[in-house]
Amino acid sequence: MRLVRGLGIGALALGLVAPFAGSPSRTQQRGLDLDSIARAIDDGSDHVSARQLAQWIRDRRPGLRVIDVRSPAEFHDDAIPTAENLPIDQLVKSRFAPDQTIVLYSQEGAHAGQAWVMLRSLGVTQAVFVPGGLADWREEVLSPLLPANASPAERARIAELSHYFGGSPRIGGSQEDQVAGATQTGRGSRRRGC
Amino acid sequence: MNDLLIAGGIGVAFGWALECAGLGDPPKLAGQFYLRDFTVLKVMLSAMLTAMLGVFWGGRLDMLDPGALYVPETYLLPQLVGGLVFGLGFVLSGLCPGTSCVALASGRIEGAATMLGLFAGVLLVGLAFPAIEPFYRSTPHGPLTIQRLADLPYGVVVALVTVVAVSMLAWIAKREAAR
Repeated sequence: MRLVRGLGIGALALGLVAPFAGSPSRTQQRGLDLDSIARAIDDGSDHVSARQLAQWIRDRRPGLRVIDVRSPAEFHDDAIPTAENLPIDQLVKSRFAPDQTIVLYSQEGAHAGQAWVMLRSLGVTQAVFVPGGLADWREEVLSPLLPANASPAERARIAELSHYFGGSPRIGGSQEDQVAGATQTGRGSRRRGC
Repeated sequence: MNDLLIAGGIGVAFGWALECAGLGDPPKLAGQFYLRDFTVLKVMLSAMLTAMLGVFWGGRLDMLDPGALYVPETYLLPQLVGGLVFGLGFVLSGLCPGTSCVALASGRIEGAATMLGLFAGVLLVGLAFPAIEPFYRSTPHGPLTIQRLADLPYGVVVALVTVVAVSMLAWIAKREAAR
């Protein structure tokens, strides 16, 4: 009983001193760590390609969180499988576990890149974004162009990934066809705006 | 791998503490709901006090970073409904998820039954998830904490919670001594 009383008094003392002890959190400084941002942009650790993301989703990478920062209407229209919808205003109110890998994407990548900077300013360093957004997803994963000069194994790998997500690869011809094809589909599938 | 070992160690310690407190015993847990047995409240309050003071002072003394702790997000309505369902299951079986593992480990068949129900429930919700997802994500409030809700400094909240918890513990001790 004596011990219990002692513990109780100890807890009370520690609790009552707490208001005068200041803030316990070290990550209170909310600001941009410009050096680390510049480094991340330089070495490319700020983004991930749509094809890489597709591999992560297929391999069920632990802790992966794919976040669509567009409006709910656009999200319901078409989205990357396993993605959740967190428009930018909700994104900054969210908390992320340190062991999660957060992948941001938008229609074409600009908004996701901006969201990435916003998260960085909130101290979230485990986020990356897809530079080409959903448009890249369609072009690189759903209907990728199989390069004519790639090895058969490489082509099979791209085709398999595409099939996994229900897409169908396009067969690339010579180098010139490939460029022409890319610009043509680029015009067709890319929507303006982000 | 290291993380798994640490998690395993903490899990074993947690189960051991629950078993020591007698929380693998369904009648004891159900007794809390009928206000016959205050063991659950005592364990919960002392655990909360220890953890809260530990995190606050640990952070203050630079031993850990409270900002790195994950605060689950609040979805008011679904969590209210979920809490009611959970409470109903809790009082019916006399076990919660953690204590059902403890009960099973100490050889109680109730523990196995509760865990079976637990996994069946998880599976059902998983299968029904597409249908209930809009509700699941409704009324989001972000990571809600008392200090954010009351707009009070962290230290003041710590002091208030300490006072409330210690007075409740003192009241329970007095009540038990009077018996």
